[in-house]
Amino acid sequence: METFNNFLGGTVALFSDPLGILIFFGGVIGGMLFGAIPGVSMLTLAAILLPFTAHLSPEHGIMLFSVIYCTGVYGGAITAILFNIPGAPENAPTAFDGYPMTKNGQAGKAVGAAVMCSALGGTVSAVIMMIATAPIANWAISAFGPPEIFALVFFGLAVASSVGAKTFWKGWLSILAGLLIAIVGLDPVGGIERWDFNMPYLLAGIHFIPTILGFFAVTEIFVQAEKKAKGSYVAPKLSVDFPTLAELIAHKVAVIRSIVIGFFCGILPGIGATLAAFMGYNEAVRWSKNPSEFGKGKLEGVISSETANNAATGAAMIPLLALGLPGGALTAMMVGVFQMHDMEPGPLVFINSADLVWVVFAAMFFANLSILFVGYLETKTIINLLRIPFQFLAPMILCLATVGAYAVRGLTIDVIVMFVAGAIGFFLRRSGYSVAGIVLGLILGRIGEQTFAQAMQMLHFEWSGFIGRPIALGLIIAGFLTLGGSIYGAFFKKV
Amino acid sequence: MKLKKHLASVGTIAVSMALSANVAFAACATDGLPASMDGPDGYPERALTMIVPYGPAGGSGQVAQAMAQAVSDLTGVSINRDHKPGGSGAVGMTSFMATPADGYTVLEHIDDASSGHALDSSRPNPADDLIPLVTSQITFSQVYIRVEEDRFTDWASFVDWVKAQDGKATIANVSKEGSMERVTMKFITDATGMEIQQISFDKGAPRYGALAGGQVDALFEQPGDVRKFLDAGTFKPILTILKEAPEAFADVPSLTDAGLDFEPLYRFRGFYVHKDAPADRVEWLQWAFQKAYCEESYQKYNESKFMTLIESFRDTEGSRELINNTVAQYRDVYKAMGLEVK
Repeated sequence: METFNNFLGGTVALFSDPLGILIFFGGVIGGMLFGAIPGVSMLTLAAILLPFTAHLSPEHGIMLFSVIYCTGVYGGAITAILFNIPGAPENAPTAFDGYPMTKNGQAGKAVGAAVMCSALGGTVSAVIMMIATAPIANWAISAFGPPEIFALVFFGLAVASSVGAKTFWKGWLSILAGLLIAIVGLDPVGGIERWDFNMPYLLAGIHFIPTILGFFAVTEIFVQAEKKAKGSYVAPKLSVDFPTLAELIAHKVAVIRSIVIGFFCGILPGIGATLAAFMGYNEAVRWSKNPSEFGKGKLEGVISSETANNAATGAAMIPLLALGLPGGALTAMMVGVFQMHDMEPGPLVFINSADLVWVVFAAMFFANLSILFVGYLETKTIINLLRIPFQFLAPMILCLATVGAYAVRGLTIDVIVMFVAGAIGFFLRRSGYSVAGIVLGLILGRIGEQTFAQAMQMLHFEWSGFIGRPIALGLIIAGFLTLGGSIYGAFFKKV
Repeated sequence: MKLKKHLASVGTIAVSMALSANVAFAACATDGLPASMDGPDGYPERALTMIVPYGPAGGSGQVAQAMAQAVSDLTGVSINRDHKPGGSGAVGMTSFMATPADGYTVLEHIDDASSGHALDSSRPNPADDLIPLVTSQITFSQVYIRVEEDRFTDWASFVDWVKAQDGKATIANVSKEGSMERVTMKFITDATGMEIQQISFDKGAPRYGALAGGQVDALFEQPGDVRKFLDAGTFKPILTILKEAPEAFADVPSLTDAGLDFEPLYRFRGFYVHKDAPADRVEWLQWAFQKAYCEESYQKYNESKFMTLIESFRDTEGSRELINNTVAQYRDVYKAMGLEVK
């Protein structure tokens, strides 16, 4: 009851202040727009706005950032679905099935599912955040150290091994290629230079955003251009039909599973929405009776990915607010907003600034709900971009992708990486390898390598140390069982 | 030139105050500089660019934002921050070195640039290959434990406990090869005879979470970065890595108190311009960045980060001295550690 009263108090404080309302809706729309632009992303908007938050009240400043966070994570789904350009890495798995749905004339259904599931995942996450921030935060940091996170990544890779590939072996080769790319640059623990070819820019590694843009957007342009040249190009059929309630209810298990996964990944400091989306998608594939349908335009793929990444948003606020531990770049910037107002997130914020916390909680709750309405309107309009003929749309997408790749760090090499990835992806797709697997290997490889090295340091370089950590051990066993099952299937079943 | 005289006197004052704990800073280091200064021939005609070799949310990102704001408030000149993270600052440094030496691009960098040059002299030396405009943050490190920790409660009991673990005790830090953290930990372990496993976390949140969640036994960090945990009563310092403890941490043993005899290494952040930039523009930038250090907004920021416990200010010459001393110190240590110094 006290929680509900606090929530009501936060809601009244939020909507009784005209400036607060203005900032709220500004954040909702800004997050959606910037979130939809690859490379630019909600982080750019947040970085631009950061100095200005000094002139806002702490409530308005933190609320603005939390609203941008919620809607920004959703925003990238639109371009992922319509053009195969994930606005951010957490939207990459959305493109796996979202874009094929667009090609199958189900763009409206895919975008509608993304809107509804983002709103649902985010709202549920916000509610759990309101109810149990402190105990969940304390549990997460004591139960999940580097060994557990490494085990989680290993499990995720084992599950996802065949996503988008023609065979199990091609799936694994794709993932291994991603892991190989992930080791370029300084090693994340010892700082040893690897595969940099004496190029300082490569010390920072191959950034995953240009790689994603290359493998998804540029490759797709090349594939479609080839079809156009051969005269076999078929424009995507336009459809603005939303998924029916019955269709969503039919996927209730996937939704609940993704909420749990997304929430769980969100509360781990430094992990966040990207792993959540991949894990949500991977688990959908793993539990499906027809896993081979994924990657070809399955609604459940979009639902699983978008529910999970937005479910991570509320969860990521838990370690931030309860412990002062930001889970990602945007939540780290929120720490900056707190500090500009002589405040620090952490246990004391609930005592010293309870009003602020509840305004933020209420804002996140309503921001997720507003995805439903603003996203609905956005969908009905943006989807019409598909009417643009390919010869005009393709250069626009290439320009957008190039700007996005360059905007990440302002480095030309990122643009080169994007086009190289695009060309490689073009040939890989023809031969049945999975560009999704490469991206997965690249993103999870970074986290996995770092946490593996940290885990080995913590366990004094003894593998048996994993046995003493039940969660890590359970995840590793589950990973090996999944892997064994896949290998058995590859040898003894028709793929 | 008048400004040069001012700067020289300011530098002398700053150096004389260097690293002295327990100093009350009623007056700011650059209060004596002129309140305003015209740029040469209308310079700057457009916004400046500040290359920051780290992300916007970390310590460098924050100090860059605070300094850019202070310079803009003082001069009315906008500063666009261009974050180029990666390669432990190498990407940002390389990008900066490729920009025109016209005084329109400045660089934020930390002591990693000095230690990087000490390890590999082909990397730019911030004291010679660049002109330091100002060093605006100098801080020290501490060892932290959880307040609720019951296996040890202070430095002495911590050392005893670590020794009893036979190398199984852990401390979270940024233990990349040649880093300030790893070198300092070597000093500590050599001096105490304890063996402790360093767990390297390159990002702050997982590092602090590791201690808060009991994944590691201790944390090596600078006080400003963990201030919220200190204020919240989650962490407590058990060793200050300074010869003498500053007043704010008077009850925490210093190196001298703990019987550890080595020269502490500092974390410092500053701002630089190309050495070939036009001299008159450099002079204006020196004035702007050094004067901005004393802007109220910047001082407030530094205070919030515990950056006023020891003197954080160095002018150009003071910065050069700091960098050169640091490079020499690291080089000696690296050789002693058996690292290949190029």
